[in-house]
Amino acid sequence: MKSKMILGAVLGAVMSAGAALAADKEIMIGYQAPFSGDRSQYGEMFRNAAAIKLAEFNASGKLPGATVSIAYEDSKDDPKEARNIARKFLDNPKIVGVIGDFSSTVSMAAAEIYATEKMPQLSQTASHPDFTKISPWQFRNITTQAFEGPYNADWILSKGLKTAAVIYIQNDWGISALEGFVDGYKAKGGKIVATETFNPGNRDFRSILTKVARQKPDVIYLAMFYEEGAALAQQREQLGITIPLYGTSSLYSPKLIELGRASVNDLHLATTFTPDNPDPAVQTFVKEYVARHKAEPSMFAAQAYDAVGIMLDAVAAAGPSVTRETLRDALAKTTNYPGVTGATSFDPATREPTKSLAKMVVKDGKFQVIGEP
Amino acid sequence: MDVNVPDARILPSSTALPASATAWRGRQIFWTVVLLAVVFGAVPAAITATGSSYLAQIAITAMIFVILSASLNHITGTAGLLSIGHAAFYGIGAYAAALLSTKLGLPFIVTLPAAGLIAAFVGFLVAMPTMRLVSIYFAVATLGIGEMIYVILLNWVDLTRGPMGIRGIPPIELFGWQANTLLSRYMAVAVIAVVCVWVLHRLTHSYYGNALRALREDDQCADSMGIDVVRLKVEAFVVSTFFAGVAGALLSHTSAYIAPDNFRFMESILILAMVVVGGMGSLPGAVVGALFMIVLPEALRDIGDYRMIAVGATMFLSILLLPKGMLAEGASLAFVRRAFARGWTTMSGGTPVGWK
Repeated sequence: MKSKMILGAVLGAVMSAGAALAADKEIMIGYQAPFSGDRSQYGEMFRNAAAIKLAEFNASGKLPGATVSIAYEDSKDDPKEARNIARKFLDNPKIVGVIGDFSSTVSMAAAEIYATEKMPQLSQTASHPDFTKISPWQFRNITTQAFEGPYNADWILSKGLKTAAVIYIQNDWGISALEGFVDGYKAKGGKIVATETFNPGNRDFRSILTKVARQKPDVIYLAMFYEEGAALAQQREQLGITIPLYGTSSLYSPKLIELGRASVNDLHLATTFTPDNPDPAVQTFVKEYVARHKAEPSMFAAQAYDAVGIMLDAVAAAGPSVTRETLRDALAKTTNYPGVTGATSFDPATREPTKSLAKMVVKDGKFQVIGEP
Repeated sequence: MDVNVPDARILPSSTALPASATAWRGRQIFWTVVLLAVVFGAVPAAITATGSSYLAQIAITAMIFVILSASLNHITGTAGLLSIGHAAFYGIGAYAAALLSTKLGLPFIVTLPAAGLIAAFVGFLVAMPTMRLVSIYFAVATLGIGEMIYVILLNWVDLTRGPMGIRGIPPIELFGWQANTLLSRYMAVAVIAVVCVWVLHRLTHSYYGNALRALREDDQCADSMGIDVVRLKVEAFVVSTFFAGVAGALLSHTSAYIAPDNFRFMESILILAMVVVGGMGSLPGAVVGALFMIVLPEALRDIGDYRMIAVGATMFLSILLLPKGMLAEGASLAFVRRAFARGWTTMSGGTPVGWK
């Protein structure tokens, strides 16, 4: 009770000070991510990308009368540090919204606090199905297989491929990829003729491929990672099977082509971010990132770049007098944010993101973006 | 430490004069009041005065780790069995409390002791086959068991929901009173932490504690003196895992969400570091070590990326300059005997001996 009164007094003092100096109001966004420890490389990418987006935003004049800054805190990918950071951000009345954390577990540990204390939180990477269900204050900028599966199903059906076989890896991710695709494909009138699974680490797909080919599907859908994808594509070539291959975004890696060589030619997949995308927004980001950090941005950097962009645009929409409340409402209204990971909207009911993915095909030893709507 | 003075037992107990007894009583009241005033007076006052929920959160985490560090000290410091799987029992307690409260709707008054008992039961099962192992072999066995338990928490999806973790664990509640504010949550955790440390204090600073220290120094020798070595080791391990389970229950009920990642190997190492930095075998040291290792990384937050390097350097220097820990075992035993637990008798020089 007493602590609330003191907090209220501090808030009041800061607010009146803010009113007096409305000309150069400072708005802060908290960013929690692992900057030390095993996963510090991801935090580093997030910070690099966030700095680029923040500089762009403050130079753009989208929010007259205020400047936005980002407060970074190192969570070490540790839930107990994340809880401490959450409290630290909440104590700072200038902070109106938080981006992060990296892994689902750590994001959710902090989310429980943000949910009860009413702070909007946007994670660039937390893919746990329950994350956005915690409270109306949680958002994320990463799509799950529940979105990607139906998206790929639509794409395949639009090519007139009406029957499909699915080969998937036997783990929680593989099962969610299978369910996402099968549900979407059947709902739109496609027919699943076979589903085959393999254990992680398996490299021999000959028996699975022979079994699947006997069903004569129009397409084989692969829910796996690049190591298995490359091995499967080579064995498919050796067996002389010519059924076209489509796959999940997890296959998107230069290693796929390095390992699979010519056998992965004509493999189709859709992903959120690729530095080769000719889209001008992507090219501006890639050029700036390479200039600053001498390396091409990864998918993680792109996710953070867009998460910061979405948050900042919501701040601009809420205006210079933004509060945690109005920022949340502005975030929830995000529609078609023109990001480098595809145009992003938040579903009004579930706050799950929907994106337009970049469709790609492997051709001449390279991933090439297909210019399709 | 004069417990090994050969003629201690034949000294007349009447040397403990009434005058010195009242002085001792005064010291005991003084130190008890000081410690309780810090835990229940100064810390809540600081939280209220600053209105800082950040401070409250750190205080709660620190109290949970005080229990973990003090309980690990019981088995590793006092009884001398190096355990590097303590986080697993912390995890069992956390999952037990989380599942009992979310699936069966049991109240905190039941889940807290149940979490301790379940962790202790698993500790008992683990202790049975491993107690004949000594030194590094025991350490490797606990390492393996810690990893096994972590993998079970991660993969027994039907029970633990695996990597998804458990959400919606209710806050601490006692007979209708709910710890809704952070301050009340801290108070509840602090009361339980103080009780846990007090019980461990009574076990450690006694003839029972002497027996544990004896088997740490030389278990064959202790055996030949009539101490039931295996029984004592099992008991110490069960007590230690019980308190780790209690700490886990507190984590569940204060954080509302747990996942296997909270109980990784690095967490065991962190708890072990607390014991070592504080002083192996020293209960006050374990408490101070826990506070140090929780507060220091937060206090250094402002220096940014070099924070963990600074934490590492501080640990390195503290071990280099204070190899027996911040509060070494000998000094802290002497302190505890002077301040809290009078000697059985007093030698002619005024040095108290034994435990009363």
